[in-house]
Amino acid sequence: MSFRVVHYINQFFAQIGGEEKADYAPEYREGAVGPGLALNTAFKGEAEIVGTVICGDSYFNENLDAAKATVLKMISDAKPDVVICGPAFNAGRYGVACGTVAAAVKDELGLPVVTGMYEENPGADMFKNKVYIIATKNNAAGMRQAAPKMAALALKLAKGEKVGASAEEGYMPNGLRVNFFEAERGSTRAVKMLLNKLAGKPYTTEFPMPSFDRVAPGPAITDLAHTTIALVTSGGIVPKGNPDHIESSSASKFGRYDISSFEDLTAADHETAHGGYDPVYANEDADRVLPVDVLRKMEKEGKIGGIYPYFFTTVGNGTAVASAKKYGEAIGKELRDAGIKAAILTST
Amino acid sequence: MRLELGEIHISDIKLGDCSKVENGTLYVNVEELRALLLEDEDLASVDFEVVHPGESVRVLPVKDVIEPRVKVEGNGGVFPGVISKVGTVGSGKTHVLKGCAVVTTGKVVGFQEGIIDMSGPGADYTPFSKLHNLVMICEPKEGIKQHQHEHAIRMAGLKAATYLGELARTLTPDETKVYETSGVMSGKEKYPDLPRVGYVLMLQSQGLLHDTYVYGVDMKRSMPTILNPTETMDGAILSGNCVSACDKNTTYHHLNNPVIADLLEQHGKTLNFVGVIITNENVYLMDKERSSDWSTKLAQFLELDGALVSQEGFGNPDTDLIMNCKKLEAAGIKTVIITDEYAGRDGASQSLADADPAADAVVTGGNANMVIHLPKMDKVIGHPEAANIIAGGFDGALEPDGSITAELQVITGATNEMGFNKLSAR
Amino acid sequence: MLLVTNNEKVRDQYGSLCTLQFVDGGHVDVLTHVRDLVHSGHKLLTHPLAGSVKPNETPFRSVALTEEAGPLDLESLDLIEAALGVCRQFKPRFHRGDDAPADMREDFAEIDFRLIHGAIAPHLQKGE
Repeated sequence: MSFRVVHYINQFFAQIGGEEKADYAPEYREGAVGPGLALNTAFKGEAEIVGTVICGDSYFNENLDAAKATVLKMISDAKPDVVICGPAFNAGRYGVACGTVAAAVKDELGLPVVTGMYEENPGADMFKNKVYIIATKNNAAGMRQAAPKMAALALKLAKGEKVGASAEEGYMPNGLRVNFFEAERGSTRAVKMLLNKLAGKPYTTEFPMPSFDRVAPGPAITDLAHTTIALVTSGGIVPKGNPDHIESSSASKFGRYDISSFEDLTAADHETAHGGYDPVYANEDADRVLPVDVLRKMEKEGKIGGIYPYFFTTVGNGTAVASAKKYGEAIGKELRDAGIKAAILTST
Repeated sequence: MRLELGEIHISDIKLGDCSKVENGTLYVNVEELRALLLEDEDLASVDFEVVHPGESVRVLPVKDVIEPRVKVEGNGGVFPGVISKVGTVGSGKTHVLKGCAVVTTGKVVGFQEGIIDMSGPGADYTPFSKLHNLVMICEPKEGIKQHQHEHAIRMAGLKAATYLGELARTLTPDETKVYETSGVMSGKEKYPDLPRVGYVLMLQSQGLLHDTYVYGVDMKRSMPTILNPTETMDGAILSGNCVSACDKNTTYHHLNNPVIADLLEQHGKTLNFVGVIITNENVYLMDKERSSDWSTKLAQFLELDGALVSQEGFGNPDTDLIMNCKKLEAAGIKTVIITDEYAGRDGASQSLADADPAADAVVTGGNANMVIHLPKMDKVIGHPEAANIIAGGFDGALEPDGSITAELQVITGATNEMGFNKLSAR
Repeated sequence: MLLVTNNEKVRDQYGSLCTLQFVDGGHVDVLTHVRDLVHSGHKLLTHPLAGSVKPNETPFRSVALTEEAGPLDLESLDLIEAALGVCRQFKPRFHRGDDAPADMREDFAEIDFRLIHGAIAPHLQKGE
């Protein structure tokens, strides 16, 4: 009795077509297709791909909810013991699709699942802490190395065996440290690592430090009374109706809106787009997140020089760090070009 | 300095009428040894047990592990400043009884931990399960304080190792290793093109049960300084550290420092092993700044290209480790640091109490919070009731059958931060 | 020097030698109070995670700070917040907190006392 596997791939690996066929709607085929054959070989009879779900990368990413639901149904109808997605190598939309499907299989179907992609694939950062992602090369020439590792991990998961450390199994470090025995003792590994480092050769740390993003603080404001303050928020405050449709999570943009005529924000003219907190109080009075009323008062009292006529806003909920960086740079550039020396950034 | 380390391979220990080494067996006259040790008035009794690899035996709570050695030729004697006179060691000839050790046990404090299982899954996590051990169960006189108790057991272990080491003085070693280190100028002349590498050896020095002694000097009172790599082989550095069994360096670790051994192995081939900088891990913050500044200053003075840094402990010492690493890197000296981790039982927590992007080359001895199940052993030696305390706090802790569920923390030497073991984590 | 502690042994020895703030609480309570002092501008003089006995393995903690308060010291802030973070990741251990039996409690108190004593005694002699 071998384990039943369902394989998720895109239109390219199904040999349906390239970019021009990326709008291919989900299709289920019996048995293995394309790279599934390599996986079947790697299973050595212990498992078998009973069916393959094929979906175009554009179709998936542009019809996320519908596509996910269809794909999940196709997968669960085939009653697999374990699911494999990809590998996506460096194809970004494919990697995101694989990660999304894998996470949904794990969370909603409760099935073990493995995917694979190159470490720089955007899907990697998004999903490596949620599902096992085997680290692959950056193009399909890496299939030969990837298939056996994906198959081996899938078998382990199907059997309910303990999964070893990331370095042993080949998956991307997922934030959970796992002990294992190396071939050499630590001091020997350290000497080798140092020799590589001294020679300018590549080396891999056994423990990556948590990532930091230290920013040197700017100089203090000395003359607040004559300084114009800009308002920026990731709390999602937008003009009523959210005219630019800033998403309630994973925002793909930021907004720039005129507040020069506002003394005070009210439920009549502003609201929040943020999906990560209870919106009632922010919708009642957006000043609670974007303190326009307090700043206007201070402006009148001469405590600050003025308020920049535009405020910038996005939704911080689930927004990728890379996106937030981009928005920050764009906003910062405009403010700096306008000679603004200080800004209040509110978050929630 | 040039040191010949002659190893006499020990494959068995037997208690007998006459202390000697014959055909690889170490015979111990425990009456004689006991009499010697009880000269210390702080000790009420010392009992002895012998344990061998593979036996179903658990030893706890382990205080220290010491390897018997004796200085045969050259200046000074082993354990200088403590057992022998204070003369500088590290050259000449030293004999080692290889394959065996003295293991001291004692309940200096109620929360004492430190398990050595000679078989079973626990044995895989301690190097001492591979040795024939003479276990010494020391009981203190009534009413002595913790610091006297710790001192008494420490001295007893060293005296026993010295007594046993003496038995090797006139023997012919089975194997001899020769270590040659160079001075600063001669090293530069001999190996002009090899990278200059140093070893920054961080020593526990926070206080009672957390101390290290160098030629008998409490390291917390010392400024960072330079040692010749071979001095450690004669016991220049001794452990007074008995807390956190998994990552405290026993005297055995100091005698057999793996970083020193591996760097000496490469000396003259791929690198020029210039020397060892020893430094401390004090509690007072200004001491940390001073010590890390000094370690870096010494490294610069030696014009090192790179340095291996090993630490001892967790929390407070993580700050020293990162300070040393940052300052060395800022001085242009490339570093690799060796540490262990406390990433929680699920491995999801922050492994170190301090961190910095400069520490981009790390070797780890593993996650000390990993939960391990130690099955019942036929025999428990030392203070068996300590098992209750060690196991305390875990679900299904100490089973009626004598098995223990605990974190790797409790196993002596399990996540050693000198890189003694093969255990790692990703 | 300002000494924050929940250890009676430390209070008995140092109460008269420096300004001592006794915290009637557990390990985390002491560190929380130290954090508040750091936010008020006191600088740490000793490491808040001294000793290899983990924060969830001993009921006692003593930390020395500067008696004077000044502008916020970022290094002290980093240290105390990291220490509290470490505390949070270690779950309480049976018989290692307020529930420690009397003799173990005595041992924990002695170790904590020894470590803080070793750290600050040389400086108190100088009249800091």
